[in-house]
Parts: sequence; structure tokens; C-alpha cells
Amino acid sequence: MDSFGLLLDGFAAAVTPEHLLWALIGVTIGTAVGVLPGVGPALTVALLLPITFRLTPESALIMFAGIYYGGMYGGSTTAILLNTPGESAAMITTLEGNKMARAGRAAAALATAALGSFVAATIGTVALTFVAPLVADFATSFGPPEYVALMAVAFVTVSALLGRSLLKGVASLLVGVTIGLIGIDSQTGQPRLTFGVDALLDGIDVVIVVIALFALSEAFGHLVTGTGGTTVQPLRERAVMSRSDLRRSWPAWLRGTAFGFPIGALPAGGAEVPTFLSYATEKKLSKHPEEFGHGAIEGVAGPEAANNAAAAGVLVPLLTIGLPTSATAAVILTAFQSYGLQPGPQLFSESGPLVWTLIASLYIGNIMLLVLNLPLAKVWARLLTIPAYGIYAGVLVFATLGTFAAGGTTVDLLVLVGLGLLGLLMRQGGIPVAPAVVGLILGPIAEQQLRRALTLSEGDPSILFSGAITIVLWVVVGIALVASIVLPVLRRRRDRETARTLAD
Amino acid sequence: MLASAGFGAVMLVAAVLVIVDAVRLPETAEAVGPAAVPLPVGVLLGVVGAALLVQARTQFATAGASEAQPRAGLRVLGMVVALVAFALLLPLLGYVVTSAALFAASATLLGAPSLLRSVAYGWALAAIVFLVFDRLIGLSLPSGPWGF
Repeated sequence: MDSFGLLLDGFAAAVTPEHLLWALIGVTIGTAVGVLPGVGPALTVALLLPITFRLTPESALIMFAGIYYGGMYGGSTTAILLNTPGESAAMITTLEGNKMARAGRAAAALATAALGSFVAATIGTVALTFVAPLVADFATSFGPPEYVALMAVAFVTVSALLGRSLLKGVASLLVGVTIGLIGIDSQTGQPRLTFGVDALLDGIDVVIVVIALFALSEAFGHLVTGTGGTTVQPLRERAVMSRSDLRRSWPAWLRGTAFGFPIGALPAGGAEVPTFLSYATEKKLSKHPEEFGHGAIEGVAGPEAANNAAAAGVLVPLLTIGLPTSATAAVILTAFQSYGLQPGPQLFSESGPLVWTLIASLYIGNIMLLVLNLPLAKVWARLLTIPAYGIYAGVLVFATLGTFAAGGTTVDLLVLVGLGLLGLLMRQGGIPVAPAVVGLILGPIAEQQLRRALTLSEGDPSILFSGAITIVLWVVVGIALVASIVLPVLRRRRDRETARTLAD
Repeated sequence: MLASAGFGAVMLVAAVLVIVDAVRLPETAEAVGPAAVPLPVGVLLGVVGAALLVQARTQFATAGASEAQPRAGLRVLGMVVALVAFALLLPLLGYVVTSAALFAASATLLGAPSLLRSVAYGWALAAIVFLVFDRLIGLSLPSGPWGF
């Protein structure tokens, strides 16, 4: 059956009162956590994972997808009103969005962000609908060697892209992989890195690591810096745009989408890169380049569209190959696994109805998000008046609750504190935490595939480079490695030259 | 920078642990045994950890000492004590009391002006969480001697 027919079936399954309710709960929670700085969708899904075990997989995954999309919408509200990205992909939105808010144009900024998010996420979801089955078809031919090469691509790009320096990204990734090694080796039954502690035999729960690295390190970070006062730009009117705002916004939305989806869909994706590209493009193409840096609406419209389209794109490798390229996608992969589902080419053939229900609910969630965010922007903005100490004390209560629900022992809570301190160290040292999460989740899968491949070839490593696809992928690994070393050097040199010319 | 160096040091320690642990693993009949992956991971941990230390050192030499926050360490220590106390007391005193106390302690450490109000908010939040997750969803939370 073609994608369209399957999608219609998905809609039929998604439009039940129960599933609609879970989608609504998901997008509402997602917007809320997107708005709150320091509480992102990755953390939220991780927190909810152990406490939603009573739900059916459909309900839980629909809710998680709602949180994922909702976080992207909510993140822009914080970026515009508070000049802090509520979500890492909203970083660029702060540049022009907050300037617009300071100039009293917060409403227009919020409106172009919400509408752009809607347009981009809808186009992105349509593209997902038609691209994903093709990729899944293609991926059925993948064997262990192809997966090993794909994981290598993901490892390199994730450590290079999700942080400021390759070295720090790799450091984070390695720590994640190491934590993933703890516990009984699934293929030989040998305990690894347990040091005789029985509680470590099952390994450290992914949920606990995510909570520690995201929630605890954030709370600890605020203890170190002192919370400080928040300066929220007041928002009085409803989110509206003038005709000229709209005329300037829509080409930016479409261009942002064109950057976001393909880059997000690459196994090397992520949502940050397309937002940078979109911003640079809008700045170059704008008829009002003088407004950039002082609140140009294109500078909000483009990147916001790009990050939402990328969010849809990231779902392509996640669903079809089982390859997460962002922290949230990695946690969603864990959610699938906890329901006994393994994302990958087989997911479409074996759990087709579930996948299509999930995709259909993305369309529905998107419409809900537009309704929630456009007229209700004022309500969400009020969340930002909660003092930081209240937010993080509450986050700690939920962090301990999630940890207790995931593990249920005192040892788990102590592990949480220890990893939280590690997270603080990383935060203070400027080491990104997202690669650690991806490494933790992909590490064991990569190891399994590697050993499967080498078992097939009876230990001959040349199997890893056999076949056209693997060779292409390894070349990509090489290019990505070289680029991630060379590009920062070139950038630094160019910065230095610009500084020199400015000084002259 | 100090933190980055500290993280490098942690990685060096981890590298030693991972390699020692991997060497200890017995040979198996499989083509690739359980130590095949940990060994290179351990080596990489050591290399990257050392690189972080070197990088931090060169930056430290050029940038000089960063501003120290004397009370920050105390606040983090207080938070760690509160969390460990929470972990140990949770099975004894029940969810609501310990969580309310955790909320009040962390809010105070984070700079909440009124302890009394923090306790009230913490109590309310813990009670709602207990009602929703324990009674409604069926996640069994420790109840303590008084049943909540």
C-alpha cells in the first residue's frame, strides 16, 4: 500500500478521543518545558519514561512526539522574551527575537515564530511521510557492517556538531559510551565495570543518566552562579503580525524549511546547523540588512522554521535506521526500546500501524500547537515569571521522582547525585552533555553491530569496509573528521583577520 | 578551565579503570570477546583526557586565574548533602515528607527568600505528585510510618 493510504489509516487510529487527549497533553507539556529555560524535551521525556509504563505504546509515543514538537515551539517564546534559548535549537532566535521584544514588537516576533514553526513542521512532516518509507526500504539491505559505519558517522558528527570544539565533544561522547559499557555484557554474560557492586550488573539506566546530566547539572549550575533576577519583556497584546511582517516572513519560513528538513534528515543532522545557515541566508538576502542586529523579523522567521523542519527531519533516521542525531531523539529511541520496539527498517513492516498513527498524530499535534501558541502566547509568557529557585527546586523533585521510578533503590539515587556532579563539571568546563547521551544510547548498539559483523567474518575486520555503502559512509566519516578539525582553524584565522582589518 | 582540567583528570582515572577491568575479562570462544570494545574506549578516554588537561593548562597559562566564588562550593555541597539525605531517608520517612523537605532545602539554597513559603510550596507539590502518581497512576512510592 502507498504511503498516503497508510497515512489515512494512521489518521483513523490517531483521531480517537484517547489518542487526541494524549497528543494534547504532550503538546501542552512540551510547550511548557520548552518555555522553561533549562528544562528541555529530552529531560522531560526521560522523566516521564519510567512513570508512563501503564500506558499503551501508542499513547506514550504520541505524547512523547507531542513533547518533542511542543518543545520546539516553546523554546522560541523564551528566546524572544527572556533572551535565553529555552531549547538549544532556539539559540539563533534570541539574536533578532529579543531585539524585537525590546523594541516592543514581541507580539510580532512570537507570531512569526509560531506560524513559521507551524508551516515548517507541517512541510517537514509531509516530507517525513514520503521520505521515511523510501529510506526504510533502502535500509532493509543494511547489514551489521553498514550499521557500524553509520554509527561511526553519527559519533563523529554528533561530537563535532553538538559542541563548541571537537575535543570536548569527543570527551563527552566517550564518557557516554563508557557509562554504556557498565553492566553484564549481553553477548557473553561477563560483568563489565561493575567492581563487584550488584546494583551495577543491570547497567545504569539511561533515564538516570539523562536526568543527572540535564536536570541536576542545571540545578547545580544555578547554585554555582547564583540564580540572578530574570528580566522578562512584558507582553501585553496578542500575537499578531502586520501585512508587511507577513510579506517579509513567508519566504524566510520556506527557505528555513528547505535548510532544516534535509539537514535534519541526514544521519549527521541536528537542529542547530540549519538555524545558523538560515540566519546567514536571511541576512544576506534581506532588503533591510540594516535591521539585522536590531530586530529583523526575517531573522526570527527563518531560523524558527529551520529548527522545526529539522525536528521533523531528525525523525527520518530515527524511525527508519534507529539512528538518533539529537539528545531528544536518543531518549525517544530509548522509549521505543522500553516498549520492546526497535526503530529501524523493520519498524515500518512489523509495527506499521503504530508508526503511521505516530506520524498522523504529528500533523494533529502541530495544529494543536498553533492553536496553543498563537492566541495563548501571553499565558505561556507568564510561566517565565516563576522565579528560578522555584523552577529548579521543582525540577529536583521531579528528577528524584523519575529516578526512583526508573530504579527504585537508594543506590540509584546516589548514582544520580554522582552523575549530577559529573554533569556540573562538564557544564563548568564547557563540555556539551548531548554527545554523552547519544554515546550512551548508541554505544551499546554500535558494539553489538560491530561484534555481529566480526562474528560473521570470523574476526576479519575487512568486512567493515566491504560493499559500496560502507565505503561511502567511511569516506563521509573521514570528511567529517577532517572538516571538524580544519573548519574551526579557518574560522579562527578569518576572525583574526577581520579583527585586524577592523583594528587598522 | 579548571573544570575542563578536572574533567580530563576524571577521564584519565576512568581510562585506567576501564583498561584494568577489560584486561581482567576472560578469553571467550567468540571471535570478538567482551574486552574488544572496552580496550580501545579506555585508550581513547586516556588520550582525550590527557589532551583536555594539556589544553586547559595552556589556556590557564595565558588567561590567568578565573574569578572564584567562595560560597558556590558550599551551596553545591549543601545540595549534595540534601540529595544524599533524601536518598537515605526516603524509605524511612515516606515520599511526601522527604520530597517536601528536598524542595524546601533546594529552593533555599538556590536563593528563595522565605523558608516558610518554600516549605508550603514543597509540601503542596509533593502531595500532588503523591496523589497523582501513587494513587492515580499506581506507581508505588514509599509511604513511611504515616501512610504518605
